[in-house]
Amino acid sequence: MMNSTSSNPQRQSFFLNMGPQHPSTHGVLRVLLEMDGEYVRNAEPVLGYGHRQQEKLGESLNWKGFMPYSARLDYVGALPCTHGFIGVIERMTGIEAPPRAEYIRVITSELNRIASHLLWLGAFLLDLGAFTPIMYTFDDREQILDILEDITGSRLTYCYFRVGGVSRDIDAGFVEKTRAFIDRLRGRFKLYDDLVSNNIIFIKRVQNIVRFTPDLAMRYGVTGPLLRSTGICYDIRKKEPYSAYPEFDFEIPVGETGDCLESYRVRLREMEQSLRIIEQALDRLPEGPALAKTPRQLKLPLGDASFSVETARGELTYYLVSDGSEVPYRLKIRTPSFSNLSPLPELCRNVLLSDLVMVLGTLDLVIPEIDR
Amino acid sequence: MDEMDRLIDDLHGLPAEAERVEYRQRGYHLEVRLQAGQVRAFAELLRKKEFYLTFVSAVHVCPAIEIVYQFACYARPCRIVTRSAVANDGTLPSIADIFDGANWHERETRDMFGVVFTDHPNLEPLLLPEDAADLKPLLKKERAIKPADQLRPPFDGEAQDSGPPTATETGVKEPNPERQ
Repeated sequence: MMNSTSSNPQRQSFFLNMGPQHPSTHGVLRVLLEMDGEYVRNAEPVLGYGHRQQEKLGESLNWKGFMPYSARLDYVGALPCTHGFIGVIERMTGIEAPPRAEYIRVITSELNRIASHLLWLGAFLLDLGAFTPIMYTFDDREQILDILEDITGSRLTYCYFRVGGVSRDIDAGFVEKTRAFIDRLRGRFKLYDDLVSNNIIFIKRVQNIVRFTPDLAMRYGVTGPLLRSTGICYDIRKKEPYSAYPEFDFEIPVGETGDCLESYRVRLREMEQSLRIIEQALDRLPEGPALAKTPRQLKLPLGDASFSVETARGELTYYLVSDGSEVPYRLKIRTPSFSNLSPLPELCRNVLLSDLVMVLGTLDLVIPEIDR
Repeated sequence: MDEMDRLIDDLHGLPAEAERVEYRQRGYHLEVRLQAGQVRAFAELLRKKEFYLTFVSAVHVCPAIEIVYQFACYARPCRIVTRSAVANDGTLPSIADIFDGANWHERETRDMFGVVFTDHPNLEPLLLPEDAADLKPLLKKERAIKPADQLRPPFDGEAQDSGPPTATETGVKEPNPERQ
């Protein structure tokens, strides 16, 4: 078509199917592309290949039965997801976790956030053709998975939080290993800067390609590092604080221009802030039980409640309507990747196909969270 | 908190029912109830006030399905949960041209509940396959459906508003025989 030697001045577009099995969509996502040569005229995500009816499961099982499912939303950052579900149950029933449990939740959630960002960092650069960084980021991420495996028993889909606390208290070994990890990762940031952040090839590749703007974010409901890269300081941990977050001193990194380089920088600085939170939490870890005594049968009172958490990708909200039984009447799960992907057609109009791959990488998508 | 009072005043002007709720128990600040005809005016107001759309979804209650909109704001902590029963013909106006993000949320709600959003630019199945568009998996079995006012009791503190809106509200609900 494009090589045609005919004198027909009318340019023809063609359709290109990307996915559902494609390495750079990071899951079963399909993007239907209308192309003009190498330029994307329209990019239409096609969803639902991994749809599991999780919201129906939520209203078919009693709330305890749904706990493991909440970790299957975002499998690379599962703890904040389970945190949200436990949070909405605790908010409805009025049960409070002891301070030590809240600290443990924060420590493990932040470790999980770092693990998720490290995975993103490696995979994003891999999408761009840089094979080396993923070796380093997976090496670091592996340390976190080991630490979390010791106390939670799983490596990815944790079911560690309980209503009223956490299933298992942390021990001296955990504290020691986590401290060692903090020192290790702080030393590695220099390496990431040398390898990636200051790499002129990387900068030229990602700078000024597509721009998120505050207006675009507001229209589509974009949250998380993508939103903060536009300069808006919005983080649920600060704006609607939950758990023990108000007790820690940390900053919300923001960018300026909203391009892919900026959200890269925001995520890197977020890891540093997460380390700060973990360090403070370990220093001031309260004594006491890690699990409050809760009734064996726990009915959810009549009415509705909402609970939002900041996951590695943005705002995750559980909205639960209860009819007074143990089984939620309706459980709506609002996931960040769903809303973050929705501006793709508008963002990627008239970009190069190779840039679209980069934008998909920047979005940091977790497809099971979109398809639910 | 005067910002919130001004918003509540504007909402009463729509006219819509709006009431502050206890954040510690409910996880949001403001509960709003709308008639189907006010949805677009409400969305335009929130767009002007720089809110973003968290989600659109539905709850299957009788006599009519309720659509739930949740909004939040980047600038200040203000989360709004809005409920609106679908109109008699089972439709509700789309807000996808006001909040672009609503496009997908409304398509998903159409998939799961069969609610038709009028003037939606592309109300195709989103999560369900194209040949399963009539599955409506989140609709409940008839014996499991609960009345809306039993699940979430009507506002009590709004004596001055309870007159006319309640009358129109029952007007919406009563002629609606059976929505499955």
